[in-house]
Amino acid sequence: MQASLVIRRRFNRCVILSDAPQARSRRTSRVTGLDPRRSGFKLPAVAAALVLLLATAASAQDFSGADSTQSSTGAKSMVTFLFPEQVTIPAGKLAAVDLHFRVADGLHINSHTPREKSLIPTNLAVVEQDGFKVSAVDFPPGADYSFAFDPTQKLSVYTGDFVLRAHLTAPSGEHLLQGVLRYQACNSNSCFPPKTIPVAVDVIGK
Amino acid sequence: MVAFVMIAALGLMLWSGVKEYQRRQQQAALQHAPQVVLVPEGQAPPAATADGAGAAEADPQPLKGKPAPAFTLTDLNGEKVSLADYKGKAVLLNFWATWCGPCKVEIPWLVKLRDQYKAQGFEVLGIESDNYDDDPKGLAAYKAGVVKSATGLGINYPVLLGGDTISKPYGGLDGLPNSFYVDRNGVVTSQIVGLRDRDEIEANIKKAIAGGGQ
Repeated sequence: MQASLVIRRRFNRCVILSDAPQARSRRTSRVTGLDPRRSGFKLPAVAAALVLLLATAASAQDFSGADSTQSSTGAKSMVTFLFPEQVTIPAGKLAAVDLHFRVADGLHINSHTPREKSLIPTNLAVVEQDGFKVSAVDFPPGADYSFAFDPTQKLSVYTGDFVLRAHLTAPSGEHLLQGVLRYQACNSNSCFPPKTIPVAVDVIGK
Repeated sequence: MVAFVMIAALGLMLWSGVKEYQRRQQQAALQHAPQVVLVPEGQAPPAATADGAGAAEADPQPLKGKPAPAFTLTDLNGEKVSLADYKGKAVLLNFWATWCGPCKVEIPWLVKLRDQYKAQGFEVLGIESDNYDDDPKGLAAYKAGVVKSATGLGINYPVLLGGDTISKPYGGLDGLPNSFYVDRNGVVTSQIVGLRDRDEIEANIKKAIAGGGQ
């Protein structure tokens, strides 16, 4: 099923989602990708080694955050954006990119089309950018789920891993797909307020 | 100069190694954290945590035995309602939301239990927990949704609109339903997160009516 996107506001391309582990990883990899030969140091070999060491140290710190799905409070995320971090698509042509997510064990979230109007659907909001367009997102159908205390009521939910397919067009060059997944989760006897997680993917148009 | 830079580089390597070692130690400690929570006999096990993934909570009933935090909220008619208005009564503060399935299962039970124990000085206050403190434009639609849901559920007790002013002193209210049983002296006798069976709810009501005696 295909859904129109919620376009919230225009973002400058250079803004980095500081909360997104993926964004932090990419920023780090750009640092490690510095060419020491262009750094302007007079002692090229030693300076290059120092720059690389600095970058490596920074990398170790940043990747330690990127590896973890835990917040600073130690609580695990209910839903995690898994991958991709980077995709390459044909420039100027409509392409499909699969976005992989995981719902933590013991939890379920409403699908994009819950059966009751009062339930909060899973949605993806994508930041609009000039020349780089996300035209639609396909959401998978939900699986049936019933609470043990009310087996007659069938809910439409996502559990475990699920995939959203984004249809996008990008001109030649590097772009950042930025979005926010909004969901509302429950376990077997409680429900939790709606939450959001950032989604960030490097899209290279070639 | 070269020697200085080399020393600095070596120092940096050492620092990086130490930091990485500390990080791995922390991760290992987390992975080996106790997976079992021992609960004294006769006490209920801790409720599911907000992340639902099994992290242990230090105290599942942090307000138990303490005075229920005072509050003043607005009901669906726009009237101010305070906990102090119910002084001398046993009160169940039932936090719920229109999107919460388990809440909708227990609310019809609460309606009947409220009728059953009303003569003994018992009241239920249903507190809808969505926060529209920062969204006055959305408040009207939110309120209409709460009215519709409360009517559909047959709620016959006061329904109040929640927000930060009450969720913070009551511990954040991350999981719903979230019930606080308050005795006639204003002390919390039980704090329950998540749906429990009707008998357990009734037992907690009786305990609150009795004055919270253990």
